[in-house]
Amino acid sequence: MTSIVVCIKQVPATTAEKRYTADLRLDRASAESVINPLDEYAIEQALKLAESGALDKVTYLSMGPEQAAEALRRALAMGGDEAYLVTDDALAGADEWATARVLAAALDKLAPDVALMGMASDDARGSLVPGAVAAIRGLPLLSYGAELTLADGAARIRRLSASGFDIIEAPLPVVASVTDQVGEPRYASLKGIMAAKRKPLETWSLADIGLAADDLHGAAALTRVIEARPPEAKPPTERVADVDADEAVTRIVDWLAARKLV
Amino acid sequence: MSTDVAFLAEFADGAPARSALELAAGAAELAGQSGGAAVALAYGPGADAGAAGLGAAGAVRAVVLGSGGGPAIGHAAALAAAVGQVEPLAVLAPATPNGRDLAAALVGLLGVPAFGPVRAVEVADGRIRSEQATLQGSVITVSEPAEGAPSPSIVLVLANTFTPVEGGSGDAEVSEAPSSDAGAFGRARIAESHPAEAAVVNLEEASVIVAGGRGVGSEEGFAPLQDLAAALGGAVGASRAAADAGWIAYQLQIGQTGKVVKPALYIACGISGAIQHRVGMQTAEHVVAINKDPDAPIGEFADLFVVGDLFQIVPKLTQEIKRRKA
Repeated sequence: MTSIVVCIKQVPATTAEKRYTADLRLDRASAESVINPLDEYAIEQALKLAESGALDKVTYLSMGPEQAAEALRRALAMGGDEAYLVTDDALAGADEWATARVLAAALDKLAPDVALMGMASDDARGSLVPGAVAAIRGLPLLSYGAELTLADGAARIRRLSASGFDIIEAPLPVVASVTDQVGEPRYASLKGIMAAKRKPLETWSLADIGLAADDLHGAAALTRVIEARPPEAKPPTERVADVDADEAVTRIVDWLAARKLV
Repeated sequence: MSTDVAFLAEFADGAPARSALELAAGAAELAGQSGGAAVALAYGPGADAGAAGLGAAGAVRAVVLGSGGGPAIGHAAALAAAVGQVEPLAVLAPATPNGRDLAAALVGLLGVPAFGPVRAVEVADGRIRSEQATLQGSVITVSEPAEGAPSPSIVLVLANTFTPVEGGSGDAEVSEAPSSDAGAFGRARIAESHPAEAAVVNLEEASVIVAGGRGVGSEEGFAPLQDLAAALGGAVGASRAAADAGWIAYQLQIGQTGKVVKPALYIACGISGAIQHRVGMQTAEHVVAINKDPDAPIGEFADLFVVGDLFQIVPKLTQEIKRRKA
């Protein structure tokens, strides 16, 4: 029996207005939330492997506030078997290390052959969690896969190299991440949405995965935001419209020349 | 903890990557603020022979993690051992897949804070202070290690954040990383390698990029963009739509899931400017967009937005630039 746990994160929708709390944490309750779009590719990859018979079980795991259960339900509507949410007041404002530590502890409990993640999260973009989870669990890392395959007790990914691609292989169990090249994620069907309501979704506290707040350095974050501000206002765009190509070219070259770019 | 600032220095085919030279300059700058030395943590084919040469780029010392050609993550255990010996204030890592993997391993192995990818970083009051764009660039945050957080701070750095030192000289003092078992990370190996027949430009090194999107329409449609890039001494890039369509190699994709670039000039041709593309090029110094759709989102953040047919404008633009240069 070969199993996979896909780790997903609930993030604010790109269209949502973001607010910060008084201590400069993202106010996740205030924003419309979605499954991190890059995690949907990991879900898609797992479901494809399950359909091909390479996997027997697809489990989802998330860490976040209670409302993150919505993201897990949405994942279950796409397919898969069961989901776990680690939620605990001690985890508010968790950074990469704390997130990795918590996911690693939950993954130790679930003990899948493959722990799969998206290549980055929309709201942070450090891409550090897969590698940190692998380090904490003492497992090989196969990251940035354009495709993941499983055969003969090993996992293989196709990964871009400087000019072409490499196939990188490691014996199971592994921690892996995939990119948006695995193929467009499927939409949840109405049938899927109905079926998801009956699939098991369990909530775990830190204690349930064998961790105490002290294991997270006593506080959930090693980093601290001391300032949050909007980006610098850019000068307004100069628009060139309703001119022929020759005039457009003159305007572009003059603009470049004025900035010593030609 | 020392006041030294370490940086990852990747080697390929016997030479340091551009990122190694940029980070050497960055580490030297930060070490100047902290009162320590810049220390290279060198890995990859040619690292053993080339590490001393990083002295000219700003490194005072260099620790060789390994010179093997397997996955970069295979050097993670040696990296952690070297960091344990050097005890730097911070480790700068390039925000590339290999750099992120190694940075992530350090975060997991050592339980230390991570920052970035940063758009600026300094040492203030003996600690790292980093500035990054988060939430797709909608917010700029300034961060530092929490009170009592362990060292080093791991800092992911985007390409072109620092400029390599020119005309430097002198050798770095080279040592080997303490011997360590590669452990689980060493169990991943390159089973097959499929390089392309022609080398692909590293877009992160280009100071001028001419990028094409869906509006370019085909592989052949990129030819006039190639000509324009050549006339400007730059390189050609693409949006995800163009790479997905197979018109251009994925190595040339710019955006959230491709390269993050910071050229002096970015000319976007037939690119609508979705947020996923924007996060890959929004730090370009100057952005010119050519698009026939007057309502394309790129028109809202380009510096110069030309509404028109790229197939008419781009060849004439190439001609005019060549004429002015002649």
